[in-house]
Amino acid sequence: MYSSQYDGGAFVSSQSPDSSVAKTRGNRSTTIPLTVKQITDAYESSSQKSELIVDGVDVGNIVLVGMVCNKASRATDATFTLDDGTGRMDFIRWVNDAADSSETAIIENGMYVSIVGSFKGFNERKRATAFAIRPIKDHNQIVLHFIQSIRMHLENTKSKVGSLSQTQQSFVNESSFSSGYKEPQTPVSNYASVNSKAQGSETDIYKLVLDVLQEPSSLASEHGIHVDEVVQRLGLPAKKVKEAIDYHVDVGHIYSTIDDFHFKSALGD
Amino acid sequence: MDTSSPTVFVNGELLKLYMGRRVRTVVQVIRNEGGAVVGQSTDNQQLTVKGPDQSVPVMHFMEVIGVADGPQSIRAEICTDFGSNFDTASYNGLCKLANGQFKNLFL
Repeated sequence: MYSSQYDGGAFVSSQSPDSSVAKTRGNRSTTIPLTVKQITDAYESSSQKSELIVDGVDVGNIVLVGMVCNKASRATDATFTLDDGTGRMDFIRWVNDAADSSETAIIENGMYVSIVGSFKGFNERKRATAFAIRPIKDHNQIVLHFIQSIRMHLENTKSKVGSLSQTQQSFVNESSFSSGYKEPQTPVSNYASVNSKAQGSETDIYKLVLDVLQEPSSLASEHGIHVDEVVQRLGLPAKKVKEAIDYHVDVGHIYSTIDDFHFKSALGD
Repeated sequence: MDTSSPTVFVNGELLKLYMGRRVRTVVQVIRNEGGAVVGQSTDNQQLTVKGPDQSVPVMHFMEVIGVADGPQSIRAEICTDFGSNFDTASYNGLCKLANGQFKNLFL
């Protein structure tokens, strides 16, 4: 699901939602969408300047989207500044072969690009390294990148399932946006209706569905519980239950088992 | 790294909160009037964009980066053609998030 939406490389969100320990020794193979502001804040507030730790996560590679300026091209490399609206950051792209040089040749000042790179070595050389620079052709990608940065930030800062009720409202808003990227008609009404409803109702349904899935009887079964059974048990509209299930799969609370209709909780207590 | 002059994501509603500051927004070009472009913001307000760059076709979406010089007006520094296929609902939502709960990621 993530890789199909995402152009610049897959990112892994380490999913251990019942661990309240910060994931500092985690996965250095993470590639995380960020804003320059996030990187600057993390860098300046950290005592250890050689590594980048954002929201408690040890960052491997970074993805940024912004406008190129101050581009300078040489035989062995190209340097430029990326301005993403939250700040500016200097990058270098090493040119080793013809493919690299054709990649950098098409980049011009004023162009929107997506960069996958590494922060390593920033402390010594005051610039990051870019591995891939791709011009943005569909400008919705710019909006998507920032939404993904927000999403990653939320994923990494939520500590326990218990605090979900506060973040769920924002998740509901966010899932409206990500579906809105594919279907422009629906999210306006989704967003408006989420705002106009009492805050309780959406979060209650999500919690109720998760509760059913976390009951001992559901946990005991090999293949969890069928969607229809959840609908029957709660007496709620099937559409809402399916929405809640999709959300929980999304954030890693539940997973599908023998088919697309059986789900089991991932948070075995 | 330099975060000293960020450009704020705004829609029509948020523009008036950032008077005199550098902002960025996306409008749909409605018409050209002499030296200014009239555009519709992502929250359906009419904004006036004054500036040298008038090359974005009518009905296309245009990103404007410039200084907010009126409750519904921007003095543009950079205009970028965002084409004809742009999701205004997502952008509008992003403006609200970037100025609300997640302001610290942006400003």
